Amino acid sequence: MQQVLITDSNVSLHHALIEKCYYFRHSFFVDGLKWEALRRPDGRDVDAFDIPGIVHIVGVDQGDVFSYSRLLPTTRPHLLNTVYPQMLEGNHEPVGDTIWEWTRCAVDPKRREGRKAADPATTGMTLGVIEACVSLGIEALHVQTHPMLLTRLMELGFKCKPLALPSQLEGQDVVPFLAQISGSTLETARSVLGVSGSVFVSHANDQSISHPHSGLRPLVRAG
Amino acid sequence: MSIRGNIQDRAFDIVEKIDNANGLDQIMGIMAVAGHSFGYENFSIAGLPMPGESIDPYIMACGWPEEWSSRYRQKDYVHVDPVIRQVRLANKPFMWSEAPVAQDDSAAQKVMNEGAEFGLVEGFAVPIYTTHGFQAIVTFGAGALTLDKSEQAGLHLIAIYAHQAIRSLLPNSGKGKGFWQLEKQLSGREIECLKWTAAGKTAYEISIITGLSHRTVEHYLINSMRKLNATNRVQAVAEAVRSRVIA
Repeated sequence: MQQVLITDSNVSLHHALIEKCYYFRHSFFVDGLKWEALRRPDGRDVDAFDIPGIVHIVGVDQGDVFSYSRLLPTTRPHLLNTVYPQMLEGNHEPVGDTIWEWTRCAVDPKRREGRKAADPATTGMTLGVIEACVSLGIEALHVQTHPMLLTRLMELGFKCKPLALPSQLEGQDVVPFLAQISGSTLETARSVLGVSGSVFVSHANDQSISHPHSGLRPLVRAG
Repeated sequence: MSIRGNIQDRAFDIVEKIDNANGLDQIMGIMAVAGHSFGYENFSIAGLPMPGESIDPYIMACGWPEEWSSRYRQKDYVHVDPVIRQVRLANKPFMWSEAPVAQDDSAAQKVMNEGAEFGLVEGFAVPIYTTHGFQAIVTFGAGALTLDKSEQAGLHLIAIYAHQAIRSLLPNSGKGKGFWQLEKQLSGREIECLKWTAAGKTAYEISIITGLSHRTVEHYLINSMRKLNATNRVQAVAEAVRSRVIA
């Protein structure tokens, strides 16, 4: 079980994994959550935002994807300002180089069954997102999710600012907010979750990073 | 400005003040002002005790009239209170009057009627779930309370921030000590279930051995995992041995 961080600088080494992510997303959002607008005959969830310049955080276990998150820059069209701007109820959203949008957050339901508490797959993915932000210089994330998760993110050390009142989107409770990452967020999250060190695959084990021809700099230092 | 926009601005203002508040007194002051704005008279925040447990150590903030609060605690009303029952099942806020009470459930009716005698006729309850699966309620009460959708949404946000701010103060306050210890302390039943798990029994087998229901055993095991900060049963057993909770 490991997390993989994919950005433009190592994406060329992860085409196969990203393909698996598209299938995983389709199975989670379309088959599972019934987001019919995303249904595609080839069973891959790929949208207009899956273009260069984005970040993927992927949980992999023996070659299978079990968790996924995508970060989009807010300096270009992203979901909140193009797909469901009505969620903002007329408010302006903060945008900028250091503000990104956290979307397509998904964890294999089999890994969450029967749990009231956050499961290791979810917490590993969340730590991956925080680590990615720290290493890429992202200072705040747009999040659109169930209001219940505000408590969890604040507990993990995000400072959260609501961008609109909670409302309903296609029958689901949702609130848009800005989750700010401070210098202590990663430390707080690790201590609350009882995890020490990086969740990302270490250099020695990561073929992508040790690839002799890639010339890739490690994006995140392994702990 | 639209009515909803006005409610939003009031809620955002309160949320920001709570976020920047220093200490419990300031937060309680902000919440009192918020009450004038949203129509509630007082509010309480508490964790939800397990069956058979007292609510006392779970109380984070209690704004009910003293006499009602002590009666509620002495008589263990938390275990028959229909609002508490509903909040355990809910993933969204609700008005107290929306919490179902069966016609023959005289214990639940009694709690609501007696609360009303102390001026707690209607209220708004917000369920809170933490990362470790700990559940809490933020509940607002009044002699009369009507909240439209926008006001409910605003109060929902305020509840989330008030809970977070007050909870994060607890480790350093003498008053909250019992709460935090209890949150980590394993009950006799939880230890029993862990011991059987350590002996290689499944939850189903433990239910046969102990005569508890399968669901109850699962419940005890999930709670012990939470208390031991373990992500699965194997780790919970290892942690319990390490901390000498079980031999």
